[in-house]
Amino acid sequence: MKKLLYILLFLSVGLHLSAQSRTIIGQVFDGESSNEPIAGAIISLQKSDKTIVSGTMTDDKGLFSITVNDDIKTLVVSFMGYATQHIAIKGDNNKYTIVLQLLSNEMDEVVVTGYQKIERRKLTAAVSSIDISEEKVGAVKNIDQALAGQVAGLSAVSSSGAPGAPVKIRIRGTASINGTQDPLWVLDGIPLEGTDIPSMEDLKDIDEIYQTSIAGLNPADIENITVLKDAAATAIYGARAANGVIVITTRKGKAGKAQINFSAKLTCNPKTDISRLNLLNSAEKVDLELGLLSQNYSYREHKGYVSSILSSMGQLDTYKTGGWEALTPDAQAAINNLRATETDWNDILFRPVVNQEYYLSLSGGTDKASYYTSLGYYDEQGNVKGVDNNRFNITLKTDYQINKYLSVGASIFANQRKQNSYLTDYNGFTNPVYYSRLANPYMQPYDENGNYIYDTNVQGKETSSLAFNIFEERENTSNRRTDRSFMAVFDAALRATDYLKFTTQAGLQLDGYTLDRYAGENSYAMRKEKLFAEYLVDGEKKTILPDGGMHKVNENHTFQWTWKAMAEYSQRFRKIHAVEAMAGMELRHIEAETLYTAAYGYDPRTLTTQPIIFPSENIAESYPLHQETFTENAYVSWFATASYSLKDRYTVGGSIRFDGSDVFGVAKKYRYLPLYSVSALWRIKEESFLRDVEAIDNLAVRASYGLQGNIDKQTSPYLIGILDKTTILPGNIEDEIETETAPNPSLRWEKTQNVNVGFDFSVLDRAINLTVDYYYRRSTDLIGMKMLPLETGFSSTTINWASMTNKGVEIALATRNIYTKSFTWTTNINIGINQNKVLQETVAENATYPSRQGYPVGAIFAYKTAGLDEEGYPLYLTADGQAVSATEFFKLNSAGASTLTAEEQRNLYTYMGTTDPKISGGFINNFEWRNWQLGINLVFNFGMKVRVTPSYNPTTYDRGLNTNRDILDAWSPTNTGGKFPRLMNAGTRAPEYVQYSEYNLYSMLDMWVKKSNYMRCQSIRLGYKFEGKWLEKLRVKSASLSLEGRNLFVISSNYDNFLDPETMGNPYAQPIPKSIIFGVNVNF
Amino acid sequence: MSIRNIFPIIVLSLCISCNDFLDIRPTGKIIAETGAEYRALLTYVYKNIPEDRGLSSLRSDEFDLINSINEYDYTSYFDIWAWNDLSRQDGTSSWGWRGYYHTIYIANYVIEHQHEITQATRSEIDQMVGEAYMLRAYMHFLLVNLYADAYTACDPATTRGIPLQLQADVEQVLRCSSVEAVYKSILDDIESARKHLNVERWDEGYTYRFNTISADALKARVALYMGRWQEAFDAAETVLTAYPDLEDMNLSTSTLPTHYKSVESIVALEQVMTANVQALESVSASLLAAYRSGDLRKSKYFKAKTLSVWILRKGGTNEQRCSFRSGEFYLIAAETANELNRPDIAADYLKRLMQKRYTEKKYTEYASAIDTMTKEELRTEILNERRCELAFEGHRWYDLRRTGQPELTKTYKNKAGETTTYTLDEGDSRYSIMFPTEAVEANPEIEIWN
Repeated sequence: MKKLLYILLFLSVGLHLSAQSRTIIGQVFDGESSNEPIAGAIISLQKSDKTIVSGTMTDDKGLFSITVNDDIKTLVVSFMGYATQHIAIKGDNNKYTIVLQLLSNEMDEVVVTGYQKIERRKLTAAVSSIDISEEKVGAVKNIDQALAGQVAGLSAVSSSGAPGAPVKIRIRGTASINGTQDPLWVLDGIPLEGTDIPSMEDLKDIDEIYQTSIAGLNPADIENITVLKDAAATAIYGARAANGVIVITTRKGKAGKAQINFSAKLTCNPKTDISRLNLLNSAEKVDLELGLLSQNYSYREHKGYVSSILSSMGQLDTYKTGGWEALTPDAQAAINNLRATETDWNDILFRPVVNQEYYLSLSGGTDKASYYTSLGYYDEQGNVKGVDNNRFNITLKTDYQINKYLSVGASIFANQRKQNSYLTDYNGFTNPVYYSRLANPYMQPYDENGNYIYDTNVQGKETSSLAFNIFEERENTSNRRTDRSFMAVFDAALRATDYLKFTTQAGLQLDGYTLDRYAGENSYAMRKEKLFAEYLVDGEKKTILPDGGMHKVNENHTFQWTWKAMAEYSQRFRKIHAVEAMAGMELRHIEAETLYTAAYGYDPRTLTTQPIIFPSENIAESYPLHQETFTENAYVSWFATASYSLKDRYTVGGSIRFDGSDVFGVAKKYRYLPLYSVSALWRIKEESFLRDVEAIDNLAVRASYGLQGNIDKQTSPYLIGILDKTTILPGNIEDEIETETAPNPSLRWEKTQNVNVGFDFSVLDRAINLTVDYYYRRSTDLIGMKMLPLETGFSSTTINWASMTNKGVEIALATRNIYTKSFTWTTNINIGINQNKVLQETVAENATYPSRQGYPVGAIFAYKTAGLDEEGYPLYLTADGQAVSATEFFKLNSAGASTLTAEEQRNLYTYMGTTDPKISGGFINNFEWRNWQLGINLVFNFGMKVRVTPSYNPTTYDRGLNTNRDILDAWSPTNTGGKFPRLMNAGTRAPEYVQYSEYNLYSMLDMWVKKSNYMRCQSIRLGYKFEGKWLEKLRVKSASLSLEGRNLFVISSNYDNFLDPETMGNPYAQPIPKSIIFGVNVNF
Repeated sequence: MSIRNIFPIIVLSLCISCNDFLDIRPTGKIIAETGAEYRALLTYVYKNIPEDRGLSSLRSDEFDLINSINEYDYTSYFDIWAWNDLSRQDGTSSWGWRGYYHTIYIANYVIEHQHEITQATRSEIDQMVGEAYMLRAYMHFLLVNLYADAYTACDPATTRGIPLQLQADVEQVLRCSSVEAVYKSILDDIESARKHLNVERWDEGYTYRFNTISADALKARVALYMGRWQEAFDAAETVLTAYPDLEDMNLSTSTLPTHYKSVESIVALEQVMTANVQALESVSASLLAAYRSGDLRKSKYFKAKTLSVWILRKGGTNEQRCSFRSGEFYLIAAETANELNRPDIAADYLKRLMQKRYTEKKYTEYASAIDTMTKEELRTEILNERRCELAFEGHRWYDLRRTGQPELTKTYKNKAGETTTYTLDEGDSRYSIMFPTEAVEANPEIEIWN
């Protein structure tokens, strides 16, 4: 390999030279970390006949001194993990400074796939690898956050800014619809369970505290992440790898002196600012309510403070007929008082926070054994008061070489996480982010005596007697999740001969969490629960729940074990033929248990509960106090890979895997699914015509083809039921079989074919590295959910509904723009361009939403509107360009239902765009100057559309709630120039009213589809490394400080009325916080 | 090096046991094969029959909602009660749709798989098939009466009915059949059921299941709704031959006739009044007024909480399950006999019922009045008796639909003291309920008719 040599000092030393031998002195530095000296680097000597003799090692300061004979022409300087350098001994120069470069971009590098370690020069697959360091990824709390913008073709989107919220990761677009779209995570060779993010169909689900098992890993324990993208890389993982694989390699102890590393971080998140939401202020809201009354808008007429003031004074009709002037001065004063009251919900619901994070590790070893131990703790407070998350980690790793043949290793990862949040409610308004949008600006949470003022407007009901106050709720309810996770990995390797190696690995993963929800007696949640539990008991209507609070607990335990065994064979024949083969098997078994208990009459001081006296069996049935589930799954797989390389230039490889799993109600022959891949690599650089071209360091072309597949285990050709017990007539318990899953005899395997072509290119001493991949994935017989006509007796079933393609280009460009002793500037650009197209989609005969055939899978369709008519109702644009009313457009009958066939209804839609970014990626710059380091990390997503929640609904705008200023621009008899549709009354244009109120029509209008393009400044980080004698006196090896700003700004297409372009589609999501992080790192 | 030899042996032995390793029966999951398992399929649908007949009570004139109603009930029921079909609030209780069709699916499934049932006698299988036909007929009957025009109030051959589901096939997309076609299918199913049903009386605890006489009971009700007086009369008579007993309310030991252990109980299937609907404290004034003095049912069925607020004793628990009971068939026999111009027979059936419902003194007074009534007067008398007898048993709304669809008005006084009046016009289209939005969304074709 091309050597990198920087000789920066040429000091002639006036030593007397003897003709036979001379003494050479020098110092070896680490090129990666600002020229720290390397201790223990090996200096060997090469004779003129290329034979090598052993030399010496560098000391603590990286210094060496060696006496050489005349026939020694070259020094060979090596250190594990660094590129070996050959340094020619020149003339009379006896002092050398040698800078070793890390191996990261070298062809000797090894890529860890989880099953194998493959030399990069034989790698035929599309794989990206990142070394995890704080300089590189910034101060991330969770490892999934670290991946944003780092890998071409990998998109990472935060769905919520809540502490500990998972990041949605997609590799090369979306390949499956029904199944999981999340990649497979592998930790030191063992696939992790519990990494899928549940699909959040209801936007409010974002409120549920949720964490994947990834959140339990401490980023500081991670050394490297490898992302496997094409079939050649993932086929070995089988069916679960259809969405790509993320392989995590954790840190290990290195041979040498014990190292103690300590780091601490302080994160400040300023208060969330909701001014972007553009909400009405008190004066505007009062005027709106007055306006609605004079317009006779009847929906929930008695809501809002204006209406209740007028009602209580008996002047509601007076106002409606006579207007403002007709009101008594008292009424006018009361309403003016509302105008003057302004509550800053932003100020009282949100807070600035300071978070802490600590990490301590101890590592080291000898050539026989190594160890790594770490402790980590972090505590994150949310900007929403009462929301927080913390994590405590312990990691222990040991590797031991027993003898020449046998080596073993064991690691343990344990962590505990605690999350606190608010208690969620079906209506969503206990969520402070959502409540801040709904609460009236003239409403106050406390009266002058400090007592709660209850908000009865917010409940989305015509009459609401239940008292709600968000501060009382926060005080008297809690929602806690505690996760405990334990993982152990044991491995053993037996090197039978130089060519044959047996390895085995066993992994255990034990994840458990407790979700603990409590509501005190004085809380809205409890009042509601009691109200719902009202029954006639002995002719009296009363709640069956005892006095006191409630306590509901969910326990969830998952236990998986994986065991795999492999035989690896590797041999070179006649120096030019290299053969590698591996075969093995894997067993996996998973058990999951859940337990739910509910208790009422709960007293948190005594932890006691009261029994419920159920008046009847039916009522008792609707209050299950104890529920359990148990599921068990097993998998058996066989796999093999083989590769053959000729002259290190041409490599061909292949892999195959049979995945077997337990499936109920399916013939046994369907248990095993074969998956395979074939691939090839041509290293053009090694050809004779390029070998001697100094400028080019690497040029290689790769190609692969593979087949992946999946089957839906929930669907069976038979009617499968769940056995249960029930009581129809009193005292008579019978067996019942619940049959709510529709059978489907025609379900087939889902298959994805993958083609990948790519090249790697680097020039000018690796100053420019370019990797480009083109991929084409064709998925056929995709399994998806189909809505069934309810007359079938079922609401949905799973069918093979579609085929689609994902094709795209990934470009990863790494450049070293400036490289001098004191200043370095490097740039990484990752771009993923993905084009998704649904080739064929079986649209159910009954579907009213169009087929995506010919469009991307994330296609958004909407009704084209053409402004408003003379009554302020939306006009629709027909295919032939006419603007017509909804009645005409949908051919509505008197009940407000369309009389068009489903197909005709589908054709009314127009394609608007796709929810998936067309281009996404990252732009990362690193600058190093003396001891300073500056990193700027930008991520971007372009070309998306998002369907947002309408600002207000014209039929069901509830005047008891606040809204954004769009409503001021609604059409009204007095504002005929208004841009948005009028507020409609039930009596007029009844069929259209039904469409807007009962059906989902309004949110399907084109005006609620917005463009979304953004570039986020993920991180700006400034680091400083201390240097000087004083460090040594303190026995400190190295120390550094850093200051980082995360998520400081975002450049985006218009996102007015929304907090953040990323969370635009969801009004319940907590915004992604801005933060400033101060960090200290000390090495002893 | 011995490990080298052991290793393949371990792998090999594991492979052999792999199939066992993968043989996992998911907890509780089952594919029905035996008679007991098919019975369990039926039990599930019996348990989950929609209780819309109770909800329909709100739509009739049996309830006067008052503003002390709690907000949950207000949201759930107000717009149903006030016939606000076009501007329902979110959270309004929904009428069943899929629930009926799911029951029909299982019924069809049992009918189609009857020859594959194992570990059951022929008569056990026949009985289950008979019950399946009954379930299918009854579900279609409930659906057509909820969602389509009354048979007697339209031209059934050309009027849109409901989708008729006669196959267990999830791939079908149905359109509506005419009201006539639906009724024809119902009558056919009853006849098929009759051929299979063989359990005359179920043991206590199982009387929710259809028995042999239930075919006649359903036939009587269906024919009554179709205005086929003779068929209805014949069927009602057959029912009364087998189940002539009535609760005598003059006796302190009498139970509510809707109780599953009542002597009147024929099929104790539907609870009709769910606990929530039953707990609405607002029996309508007009209904209370319909009970004449000496009517023992008033205090049997209701309890006065205050002078104006009466609460319901009927329904609300699973002890009070009642789909068919003798009382109804006395009234059907009386009504049809009167229509068939047999006032003597009509009066006889009516009196036999009244005797058990009124104090002795008042019974004598009212009974003698009956003997002098014209046909019209007797019809009114019978319908009033029917209203009082079957109050809150899910009959009233359907009786209103089939007997002229009269104008109804309701008033509601909100907490602010404002009064709103709601009117259902004579023959109003709201006498039929709109198809549920989710059903139309899942299959818009059901809205297409001609």
